[in-house]
Amino acid sequence: MSFFVDKEWFYYLRGREILLYKLRGGSSTSRISQSGVFQSYDNEMMYPDEDIADGLRIEYTRVSEPFVAEELETTTSYESGIIISFEDGTGTSVGGRDVIDLGSTATTEFVADDKIRVRGSTSNDGDYTILAISVDVSTGYRQLDVVAGSFTTEAVGGRISITQIPVEVESPSATSHINLNKMLNLAVIDYCKAMLAEQNGEIDKKEYFMKEFYSKLGDNESNKRNISVSFPSGPFAVR
Amino acid sequence: MTVLEVMERLNIKEETLAIAWIKDAIHLIQSNTKEKVESTKRDLIKSVNSTDNVYILPADLVSLENISIKDTSDSKYKKIKRMTSQPHYLAEDTSP
Repeated sequence: MSFFVDKEWFYYLRGREILLYKLRGGSSTSRISQSGVFQSYDNEMMYPDEDIADGLRIEYTRVSEPFVAEELETTTSYESGIIISFEDGTGTSVGGRDVIDLGSTATTEFVADDKIRVRGSTSNDGDYTILAISVDVSTGYRQLDVVAGSFTTEAVGGRISITQIPVEVESPSATSHINLNKMLNLAVIDYCKAMLAEQNGEIDKKEYFMKEFYSKLGDNESNKRNISVSFPSGPFAVR
Repeated sequence: MTVLEVMERLNIKEETLAIAWIKDAIHLIQSNTKEKVESTKRDLIKSVNSTDNVYILPADLVSLENISIKDTSDSKYKKIKRMTSQPHYLAEDTSP
């Protein structure tokens, strides 16, 4: 069993590889023998000495889903509550589909082909695509149809949220949207202008637009961390 | 904003070029800020030599945020520290 991993485990980056090491001693009482044991100055290190399912977690940024089907600012549909339930194969618009029953007759903001993310359920958390919006014939409640085999039946009770997420366009065209907010879209335009200037041999313009690009990246970050600073004027300050 | 809007603002007609530049810009954004952070998990294996403790970074990685290990005593992922240099091999235990 691993414990105090934040104090006893270390990693080293070697090119494209992560090398994992564990501090020998401390909470570890396992006997170290034969291969894989070595010393580093005063601290003796060793290779990880146990199997852990999904034990290594890597958090990183990548270029994922660069183009989407609709503008990011319009993907705002949301449903939440304790009256949402999941049904396995009870869809009525097309037989056999799984459905999310919203437990309400109110109009839903979701439409067909929206991609949604479900959170808070016991066994149905995940991302799904809505195939159709239907109505339960017996209750009149709104239902979101998804492909068969998606859900395990789950009754109302749990607090569940359904959030719209962008639909990726894998083969982008002129009508595809960039998967960024408005400020970063403007930054992208500055970047493209810089590349265009470079192509034309206008290096001064390129430098200007790259500066604008980084300026907008900075603005986008600072927009999330607004801090107000006020300076009180002293009693003898010139007013 | 659509690709077409970008092309009109730049006054260019090459759609493929515009898409390539947009992807480059997104790459640079992801490299400099944390616009969209993702995570992946791998099984840890019991290592017996210097090849077993090696894990490949995700091929699509732009910027590494952190690495954590599952603490099985409380089932929580905890960030681990990076070593600035590889451990120096002073002695190898070859006893049985």
